[in-house]
Amino acid sequence: MKMSLLKPFSKLPGLNTANILLVESEEQFQQNLADTLVEETAVTVNVRLAKSLPLPMENEESRPRIDLVVFIINLTSELSFRSAEASLKYLDPGYFLGKVCFMVTNARNASVPTERLDAVRKLAASLHCPLLFAEDQTPDGVTNAAERLLTILKVAAGLVPMATALYLSNLTRCTLPPDIDQPSFD
Amino acid sequence: MAEVKPGGQPAAELSEAAQSELLDLCEDQFAQLEKLQNEIILCEPDLCENPQEQSVNRLMATDAELKQWLTVEPKLLAANSEVLLQAGKEEMLKLCSELEMVLSCYEAKRDKLRETKELEQKWLEEKKQVLIAATDHAERLQMEKEKLSEHSVLQDTKAKIRKMKVYQENLMESLGDVLEKHVPLPQNESSTNRKKKNIELGLNEDLISLNEILEVLMNKVLNTPHDPYVMIDDTFWPPYIEMLLRYGIAVRHQENNFKIRLETFF
Repeated sequence: MKMSLLKPFSKLPGLNTANILLVESEEQFQQNLADTLVEETAVTVNVRLAKSLPLPMENEESRPRIDLVVFIINLTSELSFRSAEASLKYLDPGYFLGKVCFMVTNARNASVPTERLDAVRKLAASLHCPLLFAEDQTPDGVTNAAERLLTILKVAAGLVPMATALYLSNLTRCTLPPDIDQPSFD
Repeated sequence: MAEVKPGGQPAAELSEAAQSELLDLCEDQFAQLEKLQNEIILCEPDLCENPQEQSVNRLMATDAELKQWLTVEPKLLAANSEVLLQAGKEEMLKLCSELEMVLSCYEAKRDKLRETKELEQKWLEEKKQVLIAATDHAERLQMEKEKLSEHSVLQDTKAKIRKMKVYQENLMESLGDVLEKHVPLPQNESSTNRKKKNIELGLNEDLISLNEILEVLMNKVLNTPHDPYVMIDDTFWPPYIEMLLRYGIAVRHQENNFKIRLETFF
């Protein structure tokens, strides 16, 4: 069990390199997002894709140090949320100091129950992680999502002078409105 | 965690001495990085599933980082001026390209605003013209109002009333003429017809003319609009009543057969 835990500092960083892990149970958005992420020219961005954690042991040696773990949750699917939730325990607590973020898609969909969004927000807030909303249907939306992730990734990989992942996450972490458990009337 | 790696590969323009100095620096940094890495790996990981404990850990980490930032002394990237110049140049170029992007962004914004301004100005012009037209109209009305004094309005109304009265008198006269000519008093008719004389004489002596019947009906309507019905008595000649009813000039009371009223013509 201990062996399968993903750790933030178990390997040496590469020069001018940032590594991001996209975890999505449905594998719909991650490939698109990965293609856009690697277009970044200022640094070398390595993108790793996974359906869920833990990661398979056989790639352990070749896997670079992961600087940022992104959980992509499709709000229209309960399974997507459950899978992300189950994967969380395979992460070293050190990741939760600014090296994890949640990205939600389909939040605008009318069929999404508000309880699910609230549950995701609660999860992100309890882990002090940022919660990003992304539009996965349009190219602009994908570019936007990729840009936001890159900003966090560069900091998490230590490529931005005078900024650290913990410092950034203290500013960007998801916070809950105090009245989230109140029934809403709209 | 707060390690900042010296920027990138040495540029080709650097002299050999500077380049080797820079490489030495990089190697020093990397050695330190490896040392720290080993320390981290050797550290016993403190597993904590409890979110409360995680929050406390997070707070401690943030606190430690804050202290480090407070104590850290700003130091030169490298001692060699050549290296510094090169790094500065690179930074400047980067900054320049970023500023250029900002510039183009603002130029686009400015153009957009200019377009909006032109549109708004066009609207303003249209609104101004509407205002002028409305003011003109208001002025014209004002002038007309001034010309119309209270006296003239009174005079106007009086003339109208007079006209109406003349018209009404005309109507009444015509009505009288028609009635006199075509519906004479029953007595007259009976006196001309010898055969019926005896029968007629048996009737009430003080029959009133159709003229008078209509007058009674009209007065009743005007004086007591809530109760326009008139009781039929002996003075009303039955054929006249029959005629009024038949031609829709008068209407019988729904419950009382002996009451009639003028049809509502208005």
